[in-house]
Order: sequence, then C-alpha cells, then structure tokens
Amino acid sequence: MASNQPRAFRLPPSDAAPAQTAEPRRAPRGVSIAPDTSLEALLTGEATPAVAPQVTRPHRRLFGFGRLLVSALGGLALIAIGTGIEHYVTTLIDQNAWLGGVALALAAIAGLALLALFVRELAAILRQRRINALRERALRLSESRDVAGMASLVADLAKLYAHRPDTARGRARLAELHGDVLDPRDRLAVAERELVAPLDGQARALVAGAAQRVSIVTTLAPRAVFDVLFVAGQSLWVIRRVSEIYGSRPGLIGFLGLARSVLSHLAITGGMAVGDSLVQQVLGHGIASKLSAKLGEGVLNGLLTARVGLAAIESCRPLPFAAVAAPKLMDVAGALLRKSPGAPGEAAAIEPH
Amino acid sequence: MTASGGVLDEAVAAARSLAEAATGWWSPRLRLGVTGLSRAGKTIFITAFVQALVTGGRLPMFAAQTQGRIRRIGLTLQPDDAVPRFAYEENLVAMSGPQRRWPDSTRRISELSIEIEYESNISWFGGSRRLTVDIVDYPGEWLLDLPLIEQSYAEFCRTSLEAARKTGRLAIATPWLASLDGLDPKAEASETQAITAADAFRRYLVAARADQHALSLLPPGRFLMPGDLEGSPALTFAPLEIGEDTPVPGSLAALMESRFEAYKRHVALPFFRDHFARLDRQIVLVDLLTPLNAGAAAVADLEAALDHVLAAFRVGRNSLLSALFAPRIDRVLFAAAKADRLHHTSHDRLEAILSLLVERAYRRASEGGAKTQVLALAALRSTREATVRDGRASLPSVIGVPEAGERIGDEVFDGLVEAAIYPGDLPQDPKAALDAQGGLDLRFVRFRPPLAERDAKGKPKPAPHIRLDRAIEFLIGDRLA
Repeated sequence: MASNQPRAFRLPPSDAAPAQTAEPRRAPRGVSIAPDTSLEALLTGEATPAVAPQVTRPHRRLFGFGRLLVSALGGLALIAIGTGIEHYVTTLIDQNAWLGGVALALAAIAGLALLALFVRELAAILRQRRINALRERALRLSESRDVAGMASLVADLAKLYAHRPDTARGRARLAELHGDVLDPRDRLAVAERELVAPLDGQARALVAGAAQRVSIVTTLAPRAVFDVLFVAGQSLWVIRRVSEIYGSRPGLIGFLGLARSVLSHLAITGGMAVGDSLVQQVLGHGIASKLSAKLGEGVLNGLLTARVGLAAIESCRPLPFAAVAAPKLMDVAGALLRKSPGAPGEAAAIEPH
Repeated sequence: MTASGGVLDEAVAAARSLAEAATGWWSPRLRLGVTGLSRAGKTIFITAFVQALVTGGRLPMFAAQTQGRIRRIGLTLQPDDAVPRFAYEENLVAMSGPQRRWPDSTRRISELSIEIEYESNISWFGGSRRLTVDIVDYPGEWLLDLPLIEQSYAEFCRTSLEAARKTGRLAIATPWLASLDGLDPKAEASETQAITAADAFRRYLVAARADQHALSLLPPGRFLMPGDLEGSPALTFAPLEIGEDTPVPGSLAALMESRFEAYKRHVALPFFRDHFARLDRQIVLVDLLTPLNAGAAAVADLEAALDHVLAAFRVGRNSLLSALFAPRIDRVLFAAAKADRLHHTSHDRLEAILSLLVERAYRRASEGGAKTQVLALAALRSTREATVRDGRASLPSVIGVPEAGERIGDEVFDGLVEAAIYPGDLPQDPKAALDAQGGLDLRFVRFRPPLAERDAKGKPKPAPHIRLDRAIEFLIGDRLA
C-alpha cells in the first residue's frame, strides 16, 4: 500500500485582503479543502449526500398469490363501481342536465379523492419501509467501524423527525456532537438516547393505558362478543398510535400489514392462554381467575393488549434497542396488577420490581 | 513482582491500607493513577479531566452525567498536606488565554482531589452519595526509577552499558563510553571524578531523549528531571565498568554503589510507596506519535520502557483480603495520547500499535482479573478534520495552528497561521511500526491549543476532546452507578 508523503497545505486566505505580509510564499497548488460543514444541514434536517450503503433486504416473495387476488378483486370492484357511477351519471344527464352535471362533478371529486388517498397510502408504505430499512442499517453499522456511514444514518434519522417539534431539543443536542469524533456505536447510542428514548416513554405510557382500559372494560362487559370487539378495536388503535408516535403514520394498507399479528394473537387467546409468559400463566390461571372468572379474563385481555403494544413498539421503532432497555411485559402491564380489584394481598405480592 | 522495600515497609503499607479501607465506608476515595512517561500528556489529561467534570462538559458517554444523576462536582482538599497542589487554574489559563501555549514539563509532584456528589441507581438507601477522586501528577521521567528498585548496582551498570552499546544508541553514547575509559573503578574514590562521570552520563541521557531519537528507557529518572535534588550527592553517581566483582571499600565503585543504594532508599522507594502503591484505577498515557516520527528504534525502546515500568504495578481483581491490606488496580486504561494529530480514520491503527506495544502488560492485567481497554484519546482537541484533494489523491488531514518552529517537508511554521497537515498513513500491520525496514513515512506535527470558543452568552464552551468521556466512564463510571 503506497504511503503518501506527509505534507502540509496552507489554507486559502479567507478574507480578500490583497497585500498581507503573512502571505504564503507559494500559492496552494490547486488543492481544494473540504471541511465537514454539514452541521447546519443536520439542524434543518437535510442530510448531506453520503454514499448510500447497500441495503440487503431479506428475501421476499416477489409474487404473493394472496396479494395478487386482493389486487385483482380490488381492481374489479373499482371497475364495477366506476362503470356503475358512469352509467348513473349519464342517465341522470339525459334526464336532468343540471343534476347530471352536479353528479358528474361529485364523481370527479370522488375520483380525485381516491387518487389522493392512493398516493397517501403509497407515501405511508414507503415511509414505513424507510423506517424498517433504517433499523436494519443501524443493526449492521453498529457492528462495523464505519464512522461516515453511521454519521449519515444519524443524519437520516434526524431528517425523519425533522418535522416533529417535540424532537427539536434532541436534534439540536445531536447536531452539537456532529463534529466530534465518536465511535459508530457511541454515536448511535447518543442518537437513540436523545431522539428515540422520549418517544419510547410516550409509547410505553400509551400501551399501559390501553392495557388498563381493556382489562377494566372486559371485566365489566356483559357478553363475550363485546370483549372480543373491544379488545380488537383497542389493539388496532394501539398499533396505529404507536406507529404514529414513532413517525410512521401508516395508511390503510400499511396498517393492515402491521395488524396481521393482532389476528394471530386473538386466535391464540380466546379466554385460555397457554401463555409463553409466566406472568400470564400465573395471572390468567392462578390467582386472579380463582377470585373471579371475569377478573381473570379481564387481566388476561389487558395483558394481550400489552403484548400487542410491545410488538408494535418493536416493529415501528426506527432503531434496534441498544442503548435503551426494551420494555418488558411487567413495565407496561404492572399497572394492571397494582390496580386490579380483589384481594390486595395477592396483588401486592406480584408487585413489579 | 512488585517493588518492595522490605518487610517493615510492607507492614506499614498494609496498616495504612486498612485504615483507609475503614474510613472508606462513609467517604469513599478513589485514587486514580495517571501513568505515563515524560511528554505523554499527563498534566493536560488531568487538567482536561478535572475541567470536563467540574464544568459539566460535553461528555455523551459518561453515563452518570447523561442520566442526570450528578448533583455537583467540585475541587476539594487533597489528602496529603505535604504535597503541592496541582496548578489546575494556571494550566487552564495558559491553555485558553491569549498566549495559548501548552503547560511546561512537570518538574515536581503535585496532587488534586475532586469530590463528586451524585445519586445512585442501585442503592438501598436514597439520598446523595459522595465519591472523592485523588489524582497525582508527577514528572514522567521519575517513573523510570521503578524498575531500579529491584536492581543492584552491578545489574544497573550491566544493563546501562548493554543498552548503550546497542546499535540504535551507540552513536549517542560514544562520548560517555569514551569517558568511561579514563575511569578506573578500583581507584581511590574522588568527588570530582564522580561529578564528571555523573555529568557525562547525564549528557548522554539528555541527548538520547532529544526529538530526533526520542528514546524512552533512560533510568534513573531524576537525572533528567532532578526536581529538588539538583546537584545533591544522591544524584552524583553513574554506571562504571565493574564487571561482576564486589567493589573494594573506599574505591570509586564503592562510592558509586553506596550513592546508588541511597538513591533507591531515599528517592525512588518513597516515591513509589507514597504514590503508586495504593492506586485503585490506572490510565497509562502513551505518546506513540513522537517515537513513530523518530523511527522503529524509538518505538522498540518505548516498548521496553513501558514493559519495565508497568511490571511494577500491582494489577488484578481485588479479593476481600487484598481490598483491605494491599489493594490492587482493578481497571487499567491504555490510552494512545494526542490522537487529535491524526485523522480519526487512523485511530484504529493507532490503537492496534499500542496494543502490540503493551501486550505483555495487557495480558498480565487481564489474567489477573483486571478490566482493561485500549483507546485513542485526545484530552484537548487542538485540530479539526478535513479532506484534502491533491490532484487525484484524497488525503485525510487535520487542520490546526502548528507550533512555531515545527517543520514538515520544506515548510517551517511560525505558530500563527493555520495549516492542513497530512501526517502520512499508519501501517495496516502494527508490527511494521517495530520493523526497522518498515519504510514508514510519518511526520506528526505539534499544534497549539485550540481557540477557546464562547457561546451566545459569552460563557466559554466546554473544551473539545476525543473520547475523554469514554475514559472517564471506564475509570470512574462504575463507582458512580
């Protein structure tokens, strides 16, 4: 490996004072010096163009037949509705020109609204993909010693949250450290702590609140069908809100992708969870359910919602959990145990930490 | 193996440790050893360390501060009243004032204590706790006396002469070796002869330390930095060609031997016993860049010096008994200092070279159960980074104000103008740094301290650094958990 000769370069004079006694003896020989000045860019949220690393996506089926079916049916439905509306509007124009004109205008507006919805869906899907890509990139870069790559990742993260005023302080702190020499893992830890940790707090509070609500309501609900509906509704709401907190704002289709896990969870529980968590076992079958069957189910449903919320946090978070500890079930569902009515002795015995 | 001065000294040291362990229950003290040869940057590290903690500097990896658990950090009274106080404020003014110069080489020992008031994450009882950190600064040259404590005068003569006759040093040592020919060890002891011999030896040591050779293994340390002992009889001795025979009483060799023993007993041993025998944490600052400038011989000499010096410390995990009577150093940080003189993309290679040089000490520490780490560190960052495009080559460089008189290639700097310096590439394989045929072309330039920045309100901003926060976290972070 060829080693270049050590040498020095005079910096080009910054002010245009012509006759300075301290002029260098020879002019710089055509060198251009580019200091790193993307500090302002980081503050305003525009990342410097860096070498985009190759993102190796996990192998995805290019051609899902289920997806094909849904798309085909959707297209067919659109055609049916479109021709139906067109037929209706043309007959109306024949009958009553003015009303027909109004109907045509309304149909045009509906078409435009559909188009706008479609575009927004697309943007939301792309945004969700961006977040997933960011997470994978962060996982890969934190193992390597690629300082420039990590700096560009952190800049991308700041850009993601550039339009959220509640992240302004975190972004400013991150920008302060931009010129410092930090190892990639340290820089990622600082970014996680400054930008993402406050969002974690909000998400955790949200999930805990939803879990508590679900447990209370399903304890009091008269029929099982209300239980299921309420739990499903709250779970979907939790998923949507958590993804909004982390900046993803899913549209309908993107949201359906996230919500697939909810259905699988609902299918598994159904009153009797062969839970994978000791807490669920103990609570669901043991103590709470001995006191009252409804209470046991209520707490169980609360725990289900909490699990859904934790899964949503993990999939919507733009960075993997490295510097900050991942929330456990006890962290979000601890309130259930403290506030659950019944023998306070048993409830207090399972006090978290 | 640790330096020891006999059973009585050990007993006294054990009693002192026990007393300290007892008082440590309600006011814990942490003795931080800043170890480094001369010009390694100990004074600047201590100043930057204290300043960053006291003024709440930019320390993103210092967990206790980012978690907001620090209540207050301030300077406090030092434990030894007979030791001068570290000139912290004067150093700060020198580095950030209008002259912006580095502090002079340390001439005497000094001490500083800081008190950290914090709240603990894991304590049973709430409320704030205190940790006092004691730091000692001393001339790095005195560190070379530690290996002498275990040597007899005959061994000292033999090792000095062997080292002087090696190819790397022969040219420098020729005047001194020539003067030895005129001395007869068995002749009558004469003070004037002793003085001339000591002077010749000292001139040889000073010449070996100059920048173009940058040698490090130059005991005894007080010859290069006498402190209070300048001109005293304890420093008026030198190695002689005595072979293995015991010196005849009354001869020159006997005089030298008695002075050598006096040096060990009254100068080297108290220094070690008072300041190094009771350390809790250690940071070893190594200036790799000056020896790399000078060549493979200097780097090999640095390796030998570090090996000798670090063998004197008691490193390892503390058991209950050892924590009470003979505390060991349980965390050692090997820091390649002055890392701001090269671009951060070379820091990996710098750390690799340092790992190679301190390999034996590192292994000894890890096997003893101590935690170790190697870092490229700059306690005060005097440069900023840039990429220079020269023709087709893209050179990672640093921009700063080089000291007056520094030269690189044909250019000589005047200490006022900024310049971008490309110091050359470190080798991919760290062994190439020790290889005399390595063909390294490196020139690291000294820079002046950075201009002190002020924020919008006129308050001085925290001083920039490289990885000082990680050093702080490694050295004291777990005691602030």
